[in-house]
Amino acid sequence: MSVALVLSLLAPAQEGDALAAVLRKVRDQAGRCVVAVEVDRESDPDGQTARGSLATHTDYYNRPRGPASGVLWDAEGHVVTSQFNVSGGIKKDGLRVVLWDGRRAPARIVGWDEGRDIALLKIEETGLPVLPKADFAKLGQGSFVVVLGRAPDPSSPTVNLGILSAMSRMKGAAVQTDAEMNYGNSGGALVTLRGELVGVGCNVKPQAVWGQSGGVGFACKVSVIEDLLPRLKAGEKIPAEKEPFLGIRPGEGNPDVGGVQVVQVLPGSPAEKAGMKAEDVIVEFDGKKVEDYEAFTDLMQARKAGDEVAIKVMRKKGKPAAGGKQDYAEHVLKAKLEERPAGLQP
Amino acid sequence: MSALLALLLLQADEPLRRIEEEQARLRAVCEEVKRAYVFFGQGSGVCISPDGWVLTNFHVSGDRDGQRVRMTGGKAYTADVIGFDPYGDVALCKIRDGKELPFRELGDSDALRVGQAVIAVGNPFLLGNGSWEPTITHGIVSALHRYMDNPGYSDAIQTDAQINPGNSGGPLIAMDGKVVGINGRIDIRRFTNRVNTGIGYAIPARQIERYLAAFKAGGRAFEGYVEGITIGECGDSRYEGAGLYGDGIFVAGVVQDSPASKAGFEPGDIVFEIEGYRVTNANRFHGIVGNWPQGETLRFKVRRKLDEVELKVFLGDPEKIREREEASRRFPVGLTLAPGAELRVASLDKDGAAEKAGLKVGDVLRRGEGRELLCRDELRGVLVSRKPGETVKLVVLRDGKDLEIPLPLPLPAP
Repeated sequence: MSVALVLSLLAPAQEGDALAAVLRKVRDQAGRCVVAVEVDRESDPDGQTARGSLATHTDYYNRPRGPASGVLWDAEGHVVTSQFNVSGGIKKDGLRVVLWDGRRAPARIVGWDEGRDIALLKIEETGLPVLPKADFAKLGQGSFVVVLGRAPDPSSPTVNLGILSAMSRMKGAAVQTDAEMNYGNSGGALVTLRGELVGVGCNVKPQAVWGQSGGVGFACKVSVIEDLLPRLKAGEKIPAEKEPFLGIRPGEGNPDVGGVQVVQVLPGSPAEKAGMKAEDVIVEFDGKKVEDYEAFTDLMQARKAGDEVAIKVMRKKGKPAAGGKQDYAEHVLKAKLEERPAGLQP
Repeated sequence: MSALLALLLLQADEPLRRIEEEQARLRAVCEEVKRAYVFFGQGSGVCISPDGWVLTNFHVSGDRDGQRVRMTGGKAYTADVIGFDPYGDVALCKIRDGKELPFRELGDSDALRVGQAVIAVGNPFLLGNGSWEPTITHGIVSALHRYMDNPGYSDAIQTDAQINPGNSGGPLIAMDGKVVGINGRIDIRRFTNRVNTGIGYAIPARQIERYLAAFKAGGRAFEGYVEGITIGECGDSRYEGAGLYGDGIFVAGVVQDSPASKAGFEPGDIVFEIEGYRVTNANRFHGIVGNWPQGETLRFKVRRKLDEVELKVFLGDPEKIREREEASRRFPVGLTLAPGAELRVASLDKDGAAEKAGLKVGDVLRRGEGRELLCRDELRGVLVSRKPGETVKLVVLRDGKDLEIPLPLPLPAP
């Protein structure tokens, strides 16, 4: 009997069979650490906010009914999921976690981080299985990964295969994957082929331009969650950082002085209050050289609303001389950045 | 017994070992190819030579010089659009003074088979801006020779490697690490919902390769077509003797004294092969012919009654091509260049701006406004980079020496 077994294992398997065998093992072992998160809502402003031209596709963009996914974090009943999964007005006793064996446990929200889209839940269960953590030194773009999500039927998770598309997204908090991610498996586990936890699926929401199941998905890194955990366990609810706003419409770089040419200064914006004018060319931001618009947005990213920044601009002085030479004068403007209104450039 | 157990344990991980081997190959390809990736405005590009020739989509680059681009890691360069094909949606750009840049060669897209693994490198939704780490997605070749009109993805590779807005112009790569296509188009649910649905299209590398010389000559390249024939599908019941659908394409009519009649086409011919490619229907005919730019001559195999005839077919209208070529050598500063890749002055208008500035017949124009002039189109770009009345700086080669000549641009006639 055992000889026959050995022989069958030695037989050369097709590549597809090998992959199926690996994925089944991931499903059966790692899948037990993935839970369904059931939420009964009174209202859902976050999940119903497909706006503008997207509002015509509510079926695609808006949050559907049905469970989302979560990941068992420790044996004592801490569960990590996407913050978006538990947003909105939840009814009293309206939050439940369904385990792999069908057990349904009432859950409460302990804390969350809106920016990284992570929430910590707690259920009163013990002895729960936990995933080993992946070693990021062994991962890179092209590593195979699997998103495990829970379906309404808890007996079998959904297995979506993909690769790591990028190692650093969302200011380094997340990895990107082409394993298809949607409202159901968001909050679920992104794992290696050895069933090690890479991150927790996040950032599937109506406002996201990448939509769902479009091959652009994110998972908050396991190390980032570990660092956050003490704050979340203490009950912190961390709001998203406010994006900074200057209020210019940029054009091409200026052939004479480089930098970012300002095409328009938005009325009432921090740029206008600082005395910036159309046709100014931004050449320095906080003492750092601005080579192009991307460099400018990078520097803006490092600041937040409310910060004071010094911006050096070049402004035309007089008419061009013969031969086309234009003189410029340097001006240093002080701007107080404000919170970025939705849909506007920095 | 324990030896048997050890063997069992070892063998139990055999599937994982095999897949991890495949994973190691995939990661090595990703690592290699991403270095040649170019962040190009709202889209993508790929560097195909160490001196900085970059391919992208025309709908990404347009025909603009002096664009800021970055390579993986964030190093910034300036790129000029040299040659482009708006219909086929390809542009060839040059990174100024590029040296020892990471690049990937074009591969053989004809060797692709449906089902083989490919990766796409790109910048969907501009997610890589700031970190300058491109996105890599993985999938298979779903189909070959897809035909679409306007822009003419007339011989496209279809892939389920997810590509999205921002991937445009980026490379589709086979597992040998070579560029087999330029991604540029997706099928979406509705126009306002621009997210991949598992259907992406890439322009094949072989087609691009055949346009490279035309692109490097500068300006617009025009896709090949046969001037002077009316074609129909084989099996079309409106025609007699049109064969069965799939046989090829049916020549319904030939215009007298046209390039097609000169090539020897006759009404009733069935074209079944071009340059070794099977012609199955009208879309495939346009796809194959569009794989070459105008001005090329291709071998067509034609079934004529019971015979098989080979025809040499010139693509396009020779008269129009000649007119375009002549127009491309004339410049409004009173300057005409000689034929050929070199920018050699062939003649100067009497009392024209160029003559007054001191240019001489035989001068070779080398630089304009401080940068290398790679083609006529770039000279044209330099001559419009300043307003009339202003001066552009030219450097010409005369008697083996570089000579600087300031050229005042003429004011328009009153």
